[in-house]
Amino acid sequence: MGKKMLVWIAGAFVLVAGVGPAAAWAQKGPIKIGFLAPMTGGAAQVGKDMVNGLTMYLDEVGHQIAGRKVEVIVEDTQGKPDVALTKLRKLVESDKVHVLAGGLFAHVGYALAPRVDEYKVPMLYPVMAADDLTQRKPSKWVVRNGWTSSQPSHPFGEWVYKTLGYKKVVVIAMDYAFGWEIVGGFQKSFEEAGGQVIQKLWPPLGTADFAPYLAQIRRDADAVFALMVAASALRFPKQYQDAGLKARLPLIGGGVTMDEFVLPSLGDEAIGTITPLIYSAALDTPVNKRFVKEYRAKFGKVPSYYSETCYTTGRWINEAAKAIGGNVEDNEKFLAALRKVEIPDSPRGPIKLDAYGNPVQNIYIRKVEKKDGELWNTVIHTFPAVSQFWKYKPEEFLKQPVYSRDYPPCKYC
Amino acid sequence: MLPRHRVIGLGIMLLLLLVAPPFLSSFLLTLLTQALIYGILAMSLDLILGYTGLASLGHAAYLGLGAYSVGVLTTRHGANFWVTLAVGLLLAAVVAAVFGLVALRATGVYFLMITLALGMVIWGLAHRWVSMTQGDIGISGVPRPDLGLPWSLAKGIPFYYFSLAGFLLALWVLWVVVRSPFGQSLVGIRESESRMRTLGYHVWLHKYIGFIIAGTVGGFSGVLWGYYNGFVSPADVELATSVEILLMVALGGRATLLGPALGAGVIVLLKNLVSVYTHRWLLILGAVYIGTIVYAPEGIVGAVRQFAKGVKPEPLRSKA
Amino acid sequence: MSDAPALALSLSGVSKAFGGLRALDGVDVQVRPGERRAIIGPNGAGKTTLFSLISGEQPPTEGRITLFGRDVTRFPPHRRAALGLARTYQITNLFPRLTVLENCLLAVQALGPTKLHLHRALSRYPALFERARSALDSVGLNGKEGETVRNLSHGEQRQLEIALALAGVPKLLLLDEPTAGLSPAESHLMTALLKKLDPAITILVIEHDMDVAFELTNRVTVLHFGKVIADGLGEEVKANPLVQEIYLGTEYAGDAGR
Repeated sequence: MGKKMLVWIAGAFVLVAGVGPAAAWAQKGPIKIGFLAPMTGGAAQVGKDMVNGLTMYLDEVGHQIAGRKVEVIVEDTQGKPDVALTKLRKLVESDKVHVLAGGLFAHVGYALAPRVDEYKVPMLYPVMAADDLTQRKPSKWVVRNGWTSSQPSHPFGEWVYKTLGYKKVVVIAMDYAFGWEIVGGFQKSFEEAGGQVIQKLWPPLGTADFAPYLAQIRRDADAVFALMVAASALRFPKQYQDAGLKARLPLIGGGVTMDEFVLPSLGDEAIGTITPLIYSAALDTPVNKRFVKEYRAKFGKVPSYYSETCYTTGRWINEAAKAIGGNVEDNEKFLAALRKVEIPDSPRGPIKLDAYGNPVQNIYIRKVEKKDGELWNTVIHTFPAVSQFWKYKPEEFLKQPVYSRDYPPCKYC
Repeated sequence: MLPRHRVIGLGIMLLLLLVAPPFLSSFLLTLLTQALIYGILAMSLDLILGYTGLASLGHAAYLGLGAYSVGVLTTRHGANFWVTLAVGLLLAAVVAAVFGLVALRATGVYFLMITLALGMVIWGLAHRWVSMTQGDIGISGVPRPDLGLPWSLAKGIPFYYFSLAGFLLALWVLWVVVRSPFGQSLVGIRESESRMRTLGYHVWLHKYIGFIIAGTVGGFSGVLWGYYNGFVSPADVELATSVEILLMVALGGRATLLGPALGAGVIVLLKNLVSVYTHRWLLILGAVYIGTIVYAPEGIVGAVRQFAKGVKPEPLRSKA
Repeated sequence: MSDAPALALSLSGVSKAFGGLRALDGVDVQVRPGERRAIIGPNGAGKTTLFSLISGEQPPTEGRITLFGRDVTRFPPHRRAALGLARTYQITNLFPRLTVLENCLLAVQALGPTKLHLHRALSRYPALFERARSALDSVGLNGKEGETVRNLSHGEQRQLEIALALAGVPKLLLLDEPTAGLSPAESHLMTALLKKLDPAITILVIEHDMDVAFELTNRVTVLHFGKVIADGLGEEVKANPLVQEIYLGTEYAGDAGR
């Protein structure tokens, strides 16, 4: 056994070492972008939307940025923080990428940030929205060009009270940080305007049967605010309608409950739901119309906000690289340029970063409507240039704890 | 003692692990580090799965307990390595002692289901006890340990050797246990619990002690894992992680200790390396599992042993 | 049995019901130390159930069991084993994937404190090996140490059963059909082996083969449908008309066996 086994072991080692990623490229090779997204597992379809967005932009510029060729290396995070960390190491240490981008889930964002700081390679977060990444726990090397979870909720809460006139609202939201932050932002501004959140229900992530929760909803409410993601977002609206609630309590919610990723799979039960987000595919601007048309032609589906933010991420990198003459090897300069990028005409509208590194951008209040047999998020109101702190003073806002299941407390429950 | 050819084989394997790092890309090095840490976890599960015959679907809990001990103690209290190690091991041992009281009332598929449920309890705590664990966003910014060594463990190669030392320590501990009279009694329990009872063994006690040892060593792997990733989240204690550990043991070969460590290496490499080349890596992983079950039901080590003996591995067939 | 502390084994009013079936019904048996006792009776009489109750593998529905004067009715099997009880099984119950020596070592260390030692290798306990080898020697299995048990012949497995039971140096030995399935020659060897056992060991043996039963023992207890219908010296029992009618008369002539 001995000799044979040795040969096997030695062979295995040679094999493993041999297939290791290639050595570093010469200095002025292509600009390398490392892109992290879930390509397998439950969120694989979202990951695809993200990659599609970036690919579309790079195709448009002929894979040339600041006179240099662009190479994108996509790595699968499997939606897990530890895998994302491993792939981050691979992208930085083996592939020697100049800039990183991507990520979907908040915990991946929190896991990556300290490592990104250690590596000193700038990373764009086009999707990961956890508030504290640009509030109480900012990272020097992370540039968020997406949004914070509570950003659309802040103006929405006040608007719901003042415009829709709802006084009492029941909240039903996925029980994790993203849900808490979206609900927290809504509750804060809604109650400051005079409204009351009278009940908070927290079904765990992955809930498929909402009957026990729907039965608890207080009937003396004026509306229900829902925050659903993934498979739950597909199931919830139908169950809400089947429980006879849709006719009695209008549905409002967080933007992802009804985003363009979910809408094609929903039926008429979704119609009339009002949600805020940083993007709507129905946005009636020439830039967006062109974007939607070409995206559909290329990938056969309507772009989601995941596609839009990653498309804009390509543009973002381009603008920053141009500003420093393509010298992306100078990481400090590159980072500074990435922080200075302003895009006046992205598909989702004008964007620039605030002092904390989060975009100041439009928030769109959208209502699900049916046009030509398809569901669209018609924009019924636009809040221009909303910062993550909305109308609050950043210093004071940051004194409150990050939104959680128990903050703000439910005073009217 | 061991036959000479095996000693030589193991020696060469160890030598390769010792001299390989400078020749590997840093990515491969991190994968190898991961494989070592998961190897500890898989070996600890092997003590109850392979040696005692108890299939647990909650073993990721101990990884989580060790990792969360590191996460909480370093980021909040600035605890040093030895404190986190002591707390991690103790916590894992205590939880295993409590879980053992519940789980060891059952055997077979019921044991599997109870351990699954207990694993979910830890997952639920990691997820819901936000003030302690920061919920699903996890604890980030865990610094690498400072042991006062001339090499900084923040670097890849020193941390690899640190993990290798941990691996060898765990291997040694488990090796001694499985070869001890107690270890032999676990094998007896796997083979025939009822016979052990009438021979005079307090079977439950033996299983209980084995369960606690496995949990404690699992906690040890968690401590290393927390430092390695610098990050802890409920994803570490998911059911999927427990299933993966189970597969590592099955793939490598039950009741062989080094087999599960090898299985851990194969799965870590497949998961992270193959996925670099194709997003169809799950298919490949699935094919490897099925291939193992059908053609090498005793795992990689079992197949190698049979091959070495000149026996053709017998494919799994339904008995007529 | 407070008046008879010297008894090796005493069952008083022991019953075992499986649902509506009363496998054992008010059984009283007293066995003195050093006695050799055969338990006979037709299939389904409750003989093996009786052994399971004595060894503690099943709890009795009613009644009291004492071992060497101690009430063990509620004792788990391992505590009864600690009092010096060992048993063999009719259907071989060994560790088939382990070697002969490993089987025997498990039996040898069962009653000592070393079974919980986990800090050094089993191979560092030469005394255990010595005792295991001597138990194997005593049943004639020397030379088979390294053999995997499932590769042994049926007869050798029966011998190993005895070795396992003897390894713990029992004071009370329960033998459940030690010659079941053996060829006449093997059966003869087994009987000779059992006859050579230390006379201090109290033995209860379930045996279908009447020749073997009467050769090994002097007293006989006859079970029928869960009840003791006769109890006494071999000749007395043979002469008992009830026994002749329901048991010996039909089967004694030539053990229909199985």
